Amino acid sequence: MTPTTFRPGRRAVVAAAATALPLLGLAACSSDTGDGPDLGGGEGGDEGDGDSVPQADALASGPVAADDVIAASAWATAIKEKGQLVRGGTVANQVFSLASTTGGMPTGFDAGITQLLAKYILGEGGEEKVEYIDTTVETRETMVQNDTVDCVIATYSITAERLEVIDFAGPYYLSGTSIQVRAEDKDTISGPEDLTGLKLVTQANSTGIQAIEENVTDPADVQTLPDNESCVAALKQGRADAYVLDQGVLLGNSAADPDVVVVGEPFVDDPYGIGLSQENEDALDFCNTFLQEIIDSGSWESLWTATVGEVIDGEAPEPPVPGDLPV
Amino acid sequence: MDAIRENLPLLAQGIGTTIALTVLGYAFALILGTVLAVARVSPIPPLRGAATVYVEIFRNIPLLSLLILIAFGLPDVGLLLPYFWCGVLGLTLSSAAFVCENVRSGINTVPVGHAEAARSIGLGFFGTLRFVVLPQAFRSMVQPLVNVFIGTVIGSALCSAIAVQEVTWVTQTLNIRYAQAVLMFMIAGAVYLLLSLGGAALGGVIERAVAPGGKDRSSGRAALDVTAGAQA
Repeated sequence: MTPTTFRPGRRAVVAAAATALPLLGLAACSSDTGDGPDLGGGEGGDEGDGDSVPQADALASGPVAADDVIAASAWATAIKEKGQLVRGGTVANQVFSLASTTGGMPTGFDAGITQLLAKYILGEGGEEKVEYIDTTVETRETMVQNDTVDCVIATYSITAERLEVIDFAGPYYLSGTSIQVRAEDKDTISGPEDLTGLKLVTQANSTGIQAIEENVTDPADVQTLPDNESCVAALKQGRADAYVLDQGVLLGNSAADPDVVVVGEPFVDDPYGIGLSQENEDALDFCNTFLQEIIDSGSWESLWTATVGEVIDGEAPEPPVPGDLPV
Repeated sequence: MDAIRENLPLLAQGIGTTIALTVLGYAFALILGTVLAVARVSPIPPLRGAATVYVEIFRNIPLLSLLILIAFGLPDVGLLLPYFWCGVLGLTLSSAAFVCENVRSGINTVPVGHAEAARSIGLGFFGTLRFVVLPQAFRSMVQPLVNVFIGTVIGSALCSAIAVQEVTWVTQTLNIRYAQAVLMFMIAGAVYLLLSLGGAALGGVIERAVAPGGKDRSSGRAALDVTAGAQA
């Protein structure tokens, strides 16, 4: 059937042209923004690539477990037999785990811990035999429970509720929740007590939400966005007055962009652990032994220096005690 | 289940926001999409061209990208909308492109002779559309428009990525605290299922009401009234 057409009167032409104008405006507007806002995705790659060499040093110093240590753990034996460690996590976090743009291994603190664990179980060269499976905060517990992944290493905060459904080895890193503001606000905001009545932003996949609930009285609004770049954009554009998250990530933002600064000291301890299934009873002890070994061998410290140390000033902190769960 | 019981108000608020996003987004999309469709069948080439450009742009941008562009791109050119209205705008712009194509194909099902007959009795362009073409066209558009509605319901979940506190956002937030992903997302899934089924059921009712075979004039009028109802 042929399309129906109409012969319009003069008034109709004028009316139709009037409708077209805003539409043209919309189309023009959308092509203006079609290049995409610069959400700051660029700086991540630079840092990741720059880290690759020191991180390789940290990996080279990593220990390898003796055969009888592996044999004593059914979990580790199974991984050694299949010749691959399957890690759940992300490869989109600048400081902790970022996919390489040049085809190498992911870089960052969590990525380094993963590679050290793979080397510990699989022997020399094992650090390259890792399968990285993307997990989100929604899927982490489930993927650990149903053995889709051998472990989750993903800035995974140890909390009482999570301990009910999975095991945590570690903590292997003690993070702190901190506050980032626009540079012009740095004199008026210095701690969670100054955030009352302000609009706050944090990442959807973080414990920042709980940190806000427990430490900030009556914030005007708590926004959660999926990634660091949109949180920074929200802060800079005035959608939010303060950005609450892990200090390491916030310091990375300040290093990349002088318009945002970190104020005060971290106000909540945020211990990261290796998520493990409760079904694999021996995995917990095995991973804690592994963490103690990389601390004793100095690999933990050189990994910290190569990754988190790039965005935080000062010496590497004292490593946490594996097995010393905070809750 | 404690996670649900203790957070019923938050869940209810999330469901309310999801419904508001969907209803507003879909209503504006119906209006904008119909205007665009009229432009696409109009005899004025620049108008047809503009509407075609619109449809091709907004039909082909992933909704998530569009939402992020609106939420974080528009402020860079000086327009800072609240997140909720960014969500409504994104849903409207995207769904309107699909509404436009549905309305246009509905208009194409009306025989040319009807329009010619309308002109011969002295109706102008808009008179022909309003009294002859659109009433008939809307009948064949009911089910495709229900599909767009369901697309809008499902698309509203993406608004959680721009901090709109709808039901997916609530689900994510509760899951961070309670680590109960499967339970939480089953509930969110059920909400979307109910909304979509409700939309489909309403579409069925409308389709029967405007089905040809009844008195022609009244059914034609019903089709238009019903669209007005769906927009409210």
